Amino acid sequence: MAIDTVPPLIAAQLNYLLSHSPFPIKVEQMWSGCKNPRLLDRFTLVIPFCLDYIKWDVIYNAVYPLAAPDIIFGPEDETFRPYNGYNEAGDSKSSKNCLADWNSKDPSRLLRLIIELRDAYTTYQKKRVGEVDDDRLKFELSTMLSREGIEMCTSSGIDKPEEVRFAVPLLEMDINKLVPGSTWKRLQKIYLQVMFPVGKKSPSAPRLKLVSPAELKALFSIDDFKLPSWLEGMCMAEYLPTLEEMLQAQIIDAVSSIEVRRKFIMVLVPLLGRPLEADPVFCRKATFLACSGVFTFLVHISIPLQFPKQKPALILQSSQHFISHGVPVKSSVLTDYPWSPRWEISEMAGRIFDFLVEECLNFKKYCNESMVLLR
Amino acid sequence: MDDFSIEKTQLSGATLASLLHRSSASTADLHGYLFGHVTLTIHNSLSDESTSSATGSSLTATITSFLSLPSHLPLPPPPSHTTTTTSSSSSLLGWFSARRKTVPRPSLKDSITTRTLSSSPSHLFTPKNSSLSLPPSLFLLLTTPIQDKLIHTHEYKAFQYRITDNTFEPKSLSIINVGPIFRSHYESFSPNAPFPLVNCDLRDSNAMVEDEKGESLGALKSGLKDQQQLDMCAEGFEIGRLSKLVGSEATHLTAELEELYHKMLAKIDGLSKLVEQSSAEVLEQENNIMKLRYKVAGLE
Repeated sequence: MAIDTVPPLIAAQLNYLLSHSPFPIKVEQMWSGCKNPRLLDRFTLVIPFCLDYIKWDVIYNAVYPLAAPDIIFGPEDETFRPYNGYNEAGDSKSSKNCLADWNSKDPSRLLRLIIELRDAYTTYQKKRVGEVDDDRLKFELSTMLSREGIEMCTSSGIDKPEEVRFAVPLLEMDINKLVPGSTWKRLQKIYLQVMFPVGKKSPSAPRLKLVSPAELKALFSIDDFKLPSWLEGMCMAEYLPTLEEMLQAQIIDAVSSIEVRRKFIMVLVPLLGRPLEADPVFCRKATFLACSGVFTFLVHISIPLQFPKQKPALILQSSQHFISHGVPVKSSVLTDYPWSPRWEISEMAGRIFDFLVEECLNFKKYCNESMVLLR
Repeated sequence: MDDFSIEKTQLSGATLASLLHRSSASTADLHGYLFGHVTLTIHNSLSDESTSSATGSSLTATITSFLSLPSHLPLPPPPSHTTTTTSSSSSLLGWFSARRKTVPRPSLKDSITTRTLSSSPSHLFTPKNSSLSLPPSLFLLLTTPIQDKLIHTHEYKAFQYRITDNTFEPKSLSIINVGPIFRSHYESFSPNAPFPLVNCDLRDSNAMVEDEKGESLGALKSGLKDQQQLDMCAEGFEIGRLSKLVGSEATHLTAELEELYHKMLAKIDGLSKLVEQSSAEVLEQENNIMKLRYKVAGLE
């Protein structure tokens, strides 16, 4: 039986979209809408919006792939009608949309269409939030709208009260540039998610949450950041500067602590030899090859973000003992060694070395035992 | 532009079946125009209190026919209203979109097309017994479920596009079938293609027949025209013989009628052979086109 295929013209557009999109888009499912069910021409795109996702179905036609695709928006966005009424205004510029002069040979078209529609969707949600009848919200809107890249939406379900969500991009600094040689592909931006309950007589404090891309965890964990408390009667314009100031200071700290970790790895070199492998950008991990007599083993050191307040975690891995399928024998995570954040880093390295000298004997015994168990 | 709400939407079972068949037989998605008529019914609330005087009127749209084409082709400019008024029974009510395996919600294209269609002033039509002016604002969406496991194979939804607030208003669609419930509908039915009105004189045998036979050119012409019209239904049946079916000469009625029906059947038979031949040619052509399409799409 033939394998499911996406017609080449459609595949080219989709692949371009997935690899060139400025925001991470995912394909949730793909299916076929033609008589030959092997030809996939419909798919659901999961597009990030306002720290959440919107799902749009893209409907191509496998038999006529030269035709422009059609889009079905989410069930809660029935009133979102882009490209409607532009012609009436007689504005020739705005009536020229991506669908009007579709060129199936140009792989960038689908991405352009999606970006154009997402922009239209942002404007649509902004308009909807503006129509919400809530005094505090109206005030917040007037003070926050000037922020670049702010996104907002209203949401209401059957079982939950209506609320307005904001995604506020924080800090103007470019975190990607702060870390030399970083491998991040996407822009690392921290957002504050603000959820305002609306329609209540006495306005209660909004729910606040920091959101960052998962890759940022290598440098800075937003979970470790304590949000300043929201005082009664406060507004976002008051709250944001304090928050940004604190966040900026902590990020600069986080960047400078890369150097501390790098130095720590360096001082381990005279004791354990050059590392087999080390994370050169964030200096969070290093692996050394060590031996005790004829017993050779690897030492994996992972250094926490709070180093030197927190001690590194060690894992030993034998180079000589393997359980089934060639999986090497490993120790559990070892942190049970003396530590003080007030020590010089050379002292810290020395203590780890002393610990390893003793611990490797235990580990060797453990390895031999697990081999015996295997027989 | 007036924006009236259509209360009821009706569709004959045969038309729906034909629509569903057309969409499931096609290689890909379809769209097309819906034709039919709108009637205005006035409810008189027969209450004694004259003060309320609630005279409500409601519009009922009945879809009787459609025109379909593959949806990658743009809809042709809709037939202008003036040409369809001659039969007065069918005007452009709206359009439909049939797409496989999609959620039954109007898509981006659907909303653009519907808006364009219902906002163009040249397609306003007037229901039979009223002076209202309505845009073709109906939209019928036919889909098949995305999951294969469901028990039903088709889904359809009818909407009326409200131009004032730019929304699709879901409308219930009632299917007209045979049965006593639909009796009233059939009683008000009038055929779209009546037997042509042919002029056959009722001649009295005793009157001054010879005098009236003054063969004027005009009479000859109209006779030829009538013969042509008759040939459309029954080829080779002479117009003169029609007169035998009426009047005093109608004693051999059965034989003449049978002859007429035979001619009609022969005509239909000939036509269906023609249709069969041309369908075979169309199919062959479609297959060729499909092969070329696959080549263009890079699927070979």
